[in-house]
Amino acid sequence: MNLLPSLPTIVALVKIGLLIGGLMTAAAYLVLVERWMAAWVQDRKGPNRVGIPLTKVRLFGLGQPLADGLKIILKEDFTPKHVDKVLYTAAPLVILAASLAIFAAIPFGSSLPPIPALGLTGEEPLLVAPGLDVGVLWVFALSSIAVYGVLLGGWASNNKYGFLGGLRSSAQLVAYEIPLGLGLLGVVLAAGSLKLDTIMNAQASTGVWYAFAQPLGFLVFLVAAFAEAARLPFDLPEAEQELVGGYHTEYSGIKLLLFLVAEFLHMVTAAFLIVIMFLGGWHLWGVTGSGPVETWTVALLRFGVLSAKILGVILFFMLVRWSWPRFRFDQLMNLAWKVMLPLGLVNLVAVAAIEEFRPQLVAAVGEGTAKAAAIAIPWVVFFVGWIAAGMLTPSGTDNTPIRTHGPLDIEHELVEV
Amino acid sequence: MIAVALPSPGVILAGAVTAAAASLWLLLPRGAESRVARWLGSLLGAAALAGFVLTGRRLGGLGEEAVFLIVSLVAVISGAATIVSRSPVYSAIWFALALAGVSGVLLVLGAQFLGVATIVVYAGAILVMFLFVLMLAQPAGLAPYDRVSNEPLLSALAGATLLGLLTLSIGRLSADPSCCQMPSKAAAMAAGSAGKSGDDVQAGDAIDTAIATDPLAADQVARLGGELFGRHLLAVEAAGVLLLVALVGSIAVVSRHGDPSGELAPARRAAS
Repeated sequence: MNLLPSLPTIVALVKIGLLIGGLMTAAAYLVLVERWMAAWVQDRKGPNRVGIPLTKVRLFGLGQPLADGLKIILKEDFTPKHVDKVLYTAAPLVILAASLAIFAAIPFGSSLPPIPALGLTGEEPLLVAPGLDVGVLWVFALSSIAVYGVLLGGWASNNKYGFLGGLRSSAQLVAYEIPLGLGLLGVVLAAGSLKLDTIMNAQASTGVWYAFAQPLGFLVFLVAAFAEAARLPFDLPEAEQELVGGYHTEYSGIKLLLFLVAEFLHMVTAAFLIVIMFLGGWHLWGVTGSGPVETWTVALLRFGVLSAKILGVILFFMLVRWSWPRFRFDQLMNLAWKVMLPLGLVNLVAVAAIEEFRPQLVAAVGEGTAKAAAIAIPWVVFFVGWIAAGMLTPSGTDNTPIRTHGPLDIEHELVEV
Repeated sequence: MIAVALPSPGVILAGAVTAAAASLWLLLPRGAESRVARWLGSLLGAAALAGFVLTGRRLGGLGEEAVFLIVSLVAVISGAATIVSRSPVYSAIWFALALAGVSGVLLVLGAQFLGVATIVVYAGAILVMFLFVLMLAQPAGLAPYDRVSNEPLLSALAGATLLGLLTLSIGRLSADPSCCQMPSKAAAMAAGSAGKSGDDVQAGDAIDTAIATDPLAADQVARLGGELFGRHLLAVEAAGVLLLVALVGSIAVVSRHGDPSGELAPARRAAS
């Protein structure tokens, strides 16, 4: 019996190591970027002092993540007496494990050219589980597992704020999974595959990113992705000002760190998905080409383009955080069920119709015109749908307080909505 | 290697079934709590699991076998823990873990879509709703009738008997070489190329069957979709209509709640 790991196993382990190491480092530095962004928006300087330890070199504050990490790891890991110890400990582990496992199906580049010296004769895809035929569903499944971490953390804390945060979070995540799924479905329908790398290849080969071909789907997915990542303006599960941190109120030290990293990874996952599914992945016109990877230049270029796009989306996430106020809970639910759900359905029907009648369209008006029409029609649908949603559901989007019932009724409504 | 010292599979199976029944009976919540019963039950349960593992069929490689063993043990142990837990919230969590184990088994066997769909549908949606309701409905501890199980002896016996019968019949089925043998793609390809000289149609058929039964073929989701919307189209449509009816029905129930006119309550109307 051969106990030595085979080459695919070694390659997979190397990829997992690179991915986890890269993600953790990126998360640490993205926190720094977020603080810089906050400082820039609020017209102050932000963290700019910590540099190389024991010297006076400041390096624009690049040592800050290390200092932050050390501080929070060395803090006392305090477990309150009134918590349910097993679930209290399990919750941060569940949420972090789920948000890391998501990346098994997410490509972090195109692929590497063959490396004969190491015995890799084919193109090596930059993806941990290339054989997974259901990549999109895998991402969807594990992001729904992450709800458990939040819900259990809130419940096990045995604390009103934590519990409210957990409840809000589960209601919000369950509600926004539907528009998220509808947004995904449009892309899956157009690309004809559940594999994320196939979806990128489809966009690269036609040169039309799905953000242009399905603007309505892009909008719905973007909003739902914000809500799933629980970022402002959808951060009701935490809501420092009303829930003192929500489901992680009772957590401290390393467990709190796990929660915060997992939350950050959710945002990174959302950025990956937005870029891969709607913004063309590694594709950029005239730069990366669209065929198989033959040289290292192409491989690195594609990796660079993908990373740059993801960084851009993450910066957008951070900028939105400081630009929008938080939704009220009923507005949040109205937005999910009365605006985003119908818009997602309209998008799905439009995409299905276009894909169904594309051959007839090509036969009738020719290749170029058909391609233009397949982009123009969704934009018409986008504006019509958007205006209709704005006109038909005014109470879902306006900001007038509900005055017809007392505080108890509001609580009742909130739970039941 | 160790099979020399073991009794025949039938005896092991009978012992395992008995141990499983006794373990379940000891572990099920019956009102009176006893530490000894829990320990004994857990030990017997472990013995039963070992018996089932010993009588089972061996899979292919070492890695595959280890992964299968881990995920299936997770599924079985969490399944048992689901019914013996004292707290409903813990039961729900154990159930989630059992689903994760089942999904792992499906993934090991190559049924990717089913494995992931199990997580999405059950763990991701239905069980979260369960938890939601459990946490809201029982903040102040459990009612007495929730703390004991009904007829622990009979249900443990019935469950263990069913388990034994299923193991027996599945074991017989898989021992039969004409059934359940998954033709490997390579073998079928070889058969196909061998048959090329003679009957081309038959060779194509052999490859088709191989691809249709090979769970690791590349486009299995597409084939599953084709199957669902081809042969089983009527069933899919019927299920869709059924779900729609259920949805409409639940909305009708909610909107009439406490309001015989069927109108939405004023507060709700303002909110919506």
